[in-house]
Amino acid sequence: MEKDATLDAKGLMCPMPIVQLAKKMKELTSGQVLELVADDVGAREDVPAWCNRTGHQLVGQEEEGNVFRFYIKVK
Amino acid sequence: MTDKFCMVVSEGTFDKAMMPLIMGNTAASMGMEVHVFYTFFGLKLLKKGVKPKLPGMWRLFTGMMVKKMMKLKVPNYDEMMRQARELGVNFYACSTSMSLMGVKKSDLVEGTKVLGASKFLDLAADSKVTLFIG
Repeated sequence: MEKDATLDAKGLMCPMPIVQLAKKMKELTSGQVLELVADDVGAREDVPAWCNRTGHQLVGQEEEGNVFRFYIKVK
Repeated sequence: MTDKFCMVVSEGTFDKAMMPLIMGNTAASMGMEVHVFYTFFGLKLLKKGVKPKLPGMWRLFTGMMVKKMMKLKVPNYDEMMRQARELGVNFYACSTSMSLMGVKKSDLVEGTKVLGASKFLDLAADSKVTLFIG
């Protein structure tokens, strides 16, 4: 999937992936896509909920073993 | 209007110290306005240089817990507190608890506001979410 930036949050536990995601999104401009990589199992539900709440669009989600990849488009 | 999220913290143990910060940092990262009111034993968590301990006999194992959290890369209390401030989480000390516990404004971490119950209830009445951590 196409992306403009990647945030590797592997090895970080809740709430750090979300805290870092929120910071990183502020650095990007509207329409850009951020790839977030995480291995905290809570992220599977947390990231879509965060997108729903903040209004950023989750355009893709992949799972490979214990690693989750989320593609989020900046609103 | 931004959604408000209010918490009351009434215990000063390690678990009660971490929970509002985890919740608060997450909520602030979700774009919510966060207000945390510290009362009774919770008040000591706002004192400068505090090192909260696990409750009861578990306090002896606080060091082990802290080490395990470091290993798991969970930020420690000071780091979480610093982050909360950076994210704009609001911290309030209960004025009555301060008198009761002999805590002065100068004992509290910078940026703490001193409030009574009605100001906090005013904030809570407008909140989408209110939690009691005690």
